[in-house]
Amino acid sequence: MILAMLKVMALSLIRDRGALAMAFLLPPTIFVIFAAIFSGTSGDELRLKLAYGSEVTTETATRFETALRDEPSLRMLPETLSSEAAVRDAVAQGEADVGLVLRGDLALAGDASPVLVIVDPGKLMGGAIVSGQVQRVLSGSLADIGVARMAPSIESLVGGFTPQQSAQLAAAIAQMADEPSAEAESGGLVAFETLQGRSGSGATVTYYAGAVAILFLLFSAMQGAATLIEERNSGIVDRLAVGPAGTDVVVIGKFLFLTLQGTLQVGLIFLVAALAYQVDVVEVLPVWLLITVLSAAASAGLGLAVASACRTKQQAQTVSTFVVLVFSAIGGSMVPRFMMPPWLQDIGWYTPNAWAIEAYHGVLWRNETLADLSASFLPLAGLGLVGVMVAILVSRWRLRL
Amino acid sequence: MTPEPTVPDALRAEDGLPVLDISQLTVNYGRRQVLNRLDLKIDAGAIYGLLGPNGAGKTTLIRTICGRIMPASGSVTIEGQSNHKKSTLRRIGLVPQEIGLYSHLTVRENLQAFGRLSGLSAAQTRDAVKWAEDVTRLSERHGERLDVLSGGWKRRVNIAAAILHRPALLILDEPTVGVDVDARNELHEVIRDLTHSGMAVLIATHDLDQAETICSSVGFLRNGTIGPAGPPQSLIDAEFGGRTVVIIELRQPLNPSQRSTLLKAGFVPSNGEMTWSVFVEVGSTVSSALTAQLDRLGVSAREIRHRKPGLDTLFLQLTRKHSPELTP
Repeated sequence: MILAMLKVMALSLIRDRGALAMAFLLPPTIFVIFAAIFSGTSGDELRLKLAYGSEVTTETATRFETALRDEPSLRMLPETLSSEAAVRDAVAQGEADVGLVLRGDLALAGDASPVLVIVDPGKLMGGAIVSGQVQRVLSGSLADIGVARMAPSIESLVGGFTPQQSAQLAAAIAQMADEPSAEAESGGLVAFETLQGRSGSGATVTYYAGAVAILFLLFSAMQGAATLIEERNSGIVDRLAVGPAGTDVVVIGKFLFLTLQGTLQVGLIFLVAALAYQVDVVEVLPVWLLITVLSAAASAGLGLAVASACRTKQQAQTVSTFVVLVFSAIGGSMVPRFMMPPWLQDIGWYTPNAWAIEAYHGVLWRNETLADLSASFLPLAGLGLVGVMVAILVSRWRLRL
Repeated sequence: MTPEPTVPDALRAEDGLPVLDISQLTVNYGRRQVLNRLDLKIDAGAIYGLLGPNGAGKTTLIRTICGRIMPASGSVTIEGQSNHKKSTLRRIGLVPQEIGLYSHLTVRENLQAFGRLSGLSAAQTRDAVKWAEDVTRLSERHGERLDVLSGGWKRRVNIAAAILHRPALLILDEPTVGVDVDARNELHEVIRDLTHSGMAVLIATHDLDQAETICSSVGFLRNGTIGPAGPPQSLIDAEFGGRTVVIIELRQPLNPSQRSTLLKAGFVPSNGEMTWSVFVEVGSTVSSALTAQLDRLGVSAREIRHRKPGLDTLFLQLTRKHSPELTP
């Protein structure tokens, strides 16, 4: 009987082109879009648009501007603005992501913060990135200026330089100005290393494959489970209620179908991820499959619980949209959870999204084993089981109304 | 005189139990009593029409028969077995008022699915589908998807899906809603054919013409119980005897004085008070006198005609007895 229900749902889906596209075409498409966006913003492809202004006209100012314009991670507006106000306007009008004003001579010690970074409150991270780039330029291309600014402080600390030491320092600074790369390449205080995960793809792509997968699992499960309401309203459930199938078979059949559909759906997302972004699923296929089945089952259970509790399809659509969007927002399907405040990160653990994303990221990026991932399996399996039980009980109860 | 609210013995199988036997059934929704000590029996091969206005309790009665509502008291048995047993409920086939089928599936795919869902094996389903297609005359359309069929064909599939497991009792809830006259007559033929195999049929309907045409017995559900009940013609004869109905179709609405006069004269309004009817003895020649009286009252009649009373007239009569707003 359950197979009959599975067949009914499969045929209904196959013959409904809209639903078919929603189930199997839209998820990989959205994943590709997410991957294209986020693989750029978190990697070295991020290029901020910078408005540059200078209130000084010294040789160091010219060198500083030239060094910034040579910096590949920045896209500077072609025009050099003449005042702090003009730079502020450019940022406020959205012409640039970040503004930078040189308002004093870099070479002169004592001037407080000769470089001012102006940032839109909505792009605070851009300000931090530009500040870091300025530091890098100063310690690289303009290392002589940095040393020249520090020299007076050191001189006062050591009780004054001898004329010979002053001459040697001046010569060294001049040489650094002539050959900036030699100093710069010798290594700074801080070295930078990007970790490589197990997969050949970027961490962000791997992350968003899982994030988009669970997002669409929830959407599809909610949509598929809503057929429970259609069947209730069309009298199908009334018809079956007098037979041996009852409502249990309807609910269990739908649960199995939605789990199967979800597994195929996620399979397509990861197939695209493997082909387009070299996300390596094949090597960890059994664990990946287990995560996928559990995530699909959790979504199916949740969808059926919502559908069984709602009286009308419209009510179910409202509730499911609310549930999916809230879960996806706080569970990390839209924005990675590490970017959220700690209290919101904690709340995220109450969503299937967080557990599914952690599990996918664990196996595909951190190379975690089945034992490491077992903590993620329990909540997903539990949600699926509780959801389907709730749907069975509520559906039985509704027959008595 | 109002007949007893039971099916006459002539309608019962001679040596068997009635297929459906409801005794002293009382159902409450909270403090509200919906069914009150209701009795109903339907024998094999009989078609019983359950009539009554909206809210009379027809749906509640069907749900109680199907085991979905626990009665406060009384019993429901099917072929002598209590409907509390799961196995007893399997002897019921339910045709819901809505098209309770999968619209993206073909006729045959729907029947195959419902065959399996009603507990039949693959081989049994194959045979059952063929039989159901034959008896509901669906064979020529078996490959068509449900969403391209007309209302009448969908109704046939709706019935076919409920008989695959050969139920002893077939319950049809408004089986001909939204179908044209030809399709309705064909559905009547299908329902009649089903009773030839001994299936008992319970039809809940508002279509009194349908009930009069097809039902071997009908019962009016009012105030939580059934009464009057019996073969349609017996009920009509018992209520109206040798009287006939005179129907007046008005050209324009009546003024209060005209309305009051007609009500006092025993006329019953319908159709938004644009149609008025009154009972007269068969053979009386009232038309000319009536026309003269209506002229005196200033009532402009479009048509005056005589008609034999039917179940619809009986229904109106019963409704009028319980409608305080229809007093003069």
